[in-house]
This record gives sequence, structure tokens and C-alpha cells, in this order.
Amino acid sequence: MAKGSQRSRTALRGACFVCAGVAGAVLLSGCAGAPGSVQDSVSTALKDSSSAVATARLALALDAGGKLTTAATSTTLDDALKELETTRTTVLQLSPTVQDDRETRREALTVLDESIAGVTTAQDAIASTDGSPTLQDGDQLLENAAGRMATLKTQLGGP
Amino acid sequence: MKRLLGVALGVLTAIGGFVDIGDLVTNSVVGSRFGLSLVWVVVVGVVGICVFANMSGRVAAASGRATFEVIRERLGPRAGLANLAASFLINLMTVTAEIGGIALALQLASSVQYLLWVPLAVVAVWLVIWRVRFSIMENVTGLLGLTLIVFAVALFLLKPDWSSLGAQVLAPSVPEQETAASYWYYAVALFGAAMTPYEVFFFSSGAVEEGWTIKDLIQSRINVLVGFPLGGLLSVSIAACATVVLLPAGIAVTSLSQVILPVAEAAGKVGLAFVLIGIVAATFGAALETTLSSGYTLAQFFGWSWGKFRRPAQAARFHLSMIICLLSGAAVLATGVDPVLVTEYSVVFSAIALPLTYLPILIVANDPQYMGEHVNGRPVNVVAMIYLVIILAASLAAIPLMIVTGAGS
Repeated sequence: MAKGSQRSRTALRGACFVCAGVAGAVLLSGCAGAPGSVQDSVSTALKDSSSAVATARLALALDAGGKLTTAATSTTLDDALKELETTRTTVLQLSPTVQDDRETRREALTVLDESIAGVTTAQDAIASTDGSPTLQDGDQLLENAAGRMATLKTQLGGP
Repeated sequence: MKRLLGVALGVLTAIGGFVDIGDLVTNSVVGSRFGLSLVWVVVVGVVGICVFANMSGRVAAASGRATFEVIRERLGPRAGLANLAASFLINLMTVTAEIGGIALALQLASSVQYLLWVPLAVVAVWLVIWRVRFSIMENVTGLLGLTLIVFAVALFLLKPDWSSLGAQVLAPSVPEQETAASYWYYAVALFGAAMTPYEVFFFSSGAVEEGWTIKDLIQSRINVLVGFPLGGLLSVSIAACATVVLLPAGIAVTSLSQVILPVAEAAGKVGLAFVLIGIVAATFGAALETTLSSGYTLAQFFGWSWGKFRRPAQAARFHLSMIICLLSGAAVLATGVDPVLVTEYSVVFSAIALPLTYLPILIVANDPQYMGEHVNGRPVNVVAMIYLVIILAASLAAIPLMIVTGAGS
């Protein structure tokens, strides 16, 4: 009986070890992905943001071409906005210590705000009942933001 | 004629049931970031799941025992419990991902926030498990899942540069903007997506539920050997659509809404309707399978009465454990965690846990006490041993790669 209960305790410890291992790996992977410098963090944020902006622009083009339903366009824009908000929060939480890094963060925040404005304008266009703003208004803002984002990425040495 | 129809239905169901949220997301992510340079992993994974499902189906038919009964009996309670903990946890992650997948697909169809769809999805899954016959449940979701063939149709409508796609498949390389570690991390993820353990728990337990005998093995082999590779082609089409539309636009997939865009571009709203039906069917079918698998693993290990054919009152702990799993999945989603992120982790952890179920099945498939004359033949054993090495390598590499790449980010 005692041997049996010791066995089950050992088995339980094994099971707990497995669970803790899984949780630990998830936590470590989250931490390990965090790049070191402000410039690296901004580069990663811009890469994620340019993907979100490109997604929003593709959804708008498909919607304008009658290929996407309002529900699908609206959901795609929501997802793009969520991605942009996440990257904006990441950039906001950076702690630059030198002037160059502070300037990079300021420029990144400006371009992210422009992108967010583009997506919200597109969302307004989808929901609008009086025809204003238009999908083109949203797309124009997103095109401008994409251009500035590409310039900033190049300045930071990205692809 | 009736037999032929049965075989055709089984194959079609296997194709439609092959793709789940893990395949949808992982193939789209990989296509949008690495093009078709990881198609070889899908091929390796599909052959692997054919080998694994074939062995576990044979074990179930020859011994009358499902996977976790065999694992406990062969490994003993101690090693078996650690095995159960890992398999169950990963299964629970997959249940969560699949329910999230249903909810996200319904949001795409309705624009109603996905969190509001979660309770409905949970209740629907439970009602189907409770009330619908096993074969109807499997066939309806599998056949509706076939609408995902729209990805293959969309690929042709997109008129891609076939020679460029072919070159990516035949001469795989790491794209300039990606690292080798990310490439191998996603190779493990794709392998895990193709060889999810729940498919095998479900397959072998279903064999026991449906009372398979050795005579049924021919049909099951045809289902597996024809259906799964064709399902694998569906996975490749998903990756190819992302490669043709999303990769050149600089879109790296992070949400389900991005997965459907290539189909909408190629086939408009009609294509969109097909892809949404397909995603709901595929994720719903997989949610049923994973929920049942959670109940199967626990009940088989602890020796509880189990089986969908038993009324809840006759297998109370089996049914209760499934309800708890569904509610746990819903609770995890209610925290606001991204279902796509859960999916990405679940496929990698599936690869990590794979040896825990593959090895005992391989051992039992070679044990004449269980299998009698139906033990693995030499050619099957050679392939199975090669896969054991691949599975162990993927399992051991997964966590270091996850840490180094920050889960592929």
C-alpha cells in the first residue's frame, strides 16, 4: 500500500514536472524573442506594422472590387488595428537612453499613429451611411503611412 | 457497390477531416514567410501520419484496445501518467485552438466579436457529441470540410508562375529576410500540424467504438493511404495561396482573416463563402475529435467506462471530463488570449509530445502477444524506425528552437 502511494506520488511529480516544463518553455520563448536594443525593437515593430498595413490595404482593394463581404473586411481591419495597437504599445514601452533612440521612437510612433488613423478611417468608411469618409480616404492614409514606414525601416537598416 | 461507396465516403471524409486550425494557420504562416520552401515537411508529415495511423488502427483492430489502454498496460502507471499529462495538456491546447477557430471563422462571416461565438461553439460541440451518431458526425464534418478544396481552385485561378513555385519546392532554401532557426522552427511546427497526436487517439478509439475487426483494416488502410495524402495536398494549396498573394505583399500571417484573403482575391465572394464553410466544418470537426480524444485518453488510462455509444449516465466520468475540457478551453479563450497564438503553440507542442504516443504504439505493433500474426512486417518497421528518429529529432529540437526564435517571431 505504502509502496503504491509512493509510486503514485512519483508519477504525480512526473506529471507536474511535464506541466511545469511546458509552461516554462512558453514563458522562455516569450522572453527570448525580445530583441536587445531600441533600434532592434523598433525594426521588429515596423516589420509587424507594415504587414498589418499591407493586410488592411489588400482587404480594402478586395472590398472595393466586390470580392470581400463587409463582415470579412471589417474583421480584417479589426485584426490589423489590433496588431498596430500591440506594436504601438511595444514601442511606447521602450526606454531609450540616448537622443538617436528617442528620435527613432518618436518617428516610429508618428508613423504608427498615421497607420492607425488610416485603419480607423477605413473602418469608418465601411460603417458609414452617408458615404463619408470613403474607402479611398482610408487607403490614401494607409499608402502614405506605408511609404513613411518603408523609409524609416530603410533608415534603421531593415530590408 | 455499397462497399465501394463506403470506401469513397471514407476517403472523402479523411480528406475533408485532415485539415484543422493547426494546418490552416501553420501552412498560411509558412507560405507567407517562407514560400513553398517547406513543402517537403508536409510530405514527411503526411507519410508519418499514414504510418502512425496505420499502426494504431491495426493495434486497435487486432488487440481491441485503444492507444491509452495500451500505453498504460505497456509502460506501467508511472511512465503512463507522465505520458498522459503531456498528451492531455496538448490535447487541451488543441481543443482551445479549435474552438477559437470556429469562433474566428464565425466572426469573419458575421463581424460579431469572436468571444461571443465561443459559448455557442462549446454548446454545439457538446450537443453533437451527446446526440449525434459517430459515423454521421465524422462524415458530415469531413464532407463539409471538403469545401476547403477552394484553396486548390483559388491557386489555379490566381494563375501563379508555376515554374517559380516548382523551384521553391524542389530547391528549398531559407529566404533572405528569415533566419535558419526560424526556418527549422516552422519545419517542426508544420510537422506537428501534420502529425497531431489527437488524430491518432481519435482514430484508434474510433476503431474500438465502431468495433473494427481485422476485416475492416483494408478499408481503413485505403482511407488513410489515399485520404491523408490528398488532405496533405490541401495543406500545400493553403501554403501556395499564401505564397502567391501574401508573400509578395509583405504580409506575414498572424490572424485567420489573412488566411482567407488569397481565396477572396481569386474567387470573390463565392470563394469566400466556400472557404468560410470549410473552415467552420474543419475546426468544428477537429473540436469534436479533440474533445472526444481528451475524454478517451483520461477514461482509457484510468479504466473508466468510455465510448460515445454509451449514454452519459453509463459513462459519466468520460462525459464529465469532456464537458470540463470544453469549459476549460472556453475559459482560456475568455481571458482574451489570441486563438491563433494558441494554435501556433499547440502544433509545436504536438511535435514535442509525439514520441510519447508513437513509441508505445510502435512497441505494441511489434508485440505478438497483442498482435498475433498482425505484427509489423519488416518494411513497415524500417519506415517506422526512420520515423522514430525523425520524431525524436523534431521533439528534441522544438523547445530550443522555440526559445532561440521567440516562438518564430
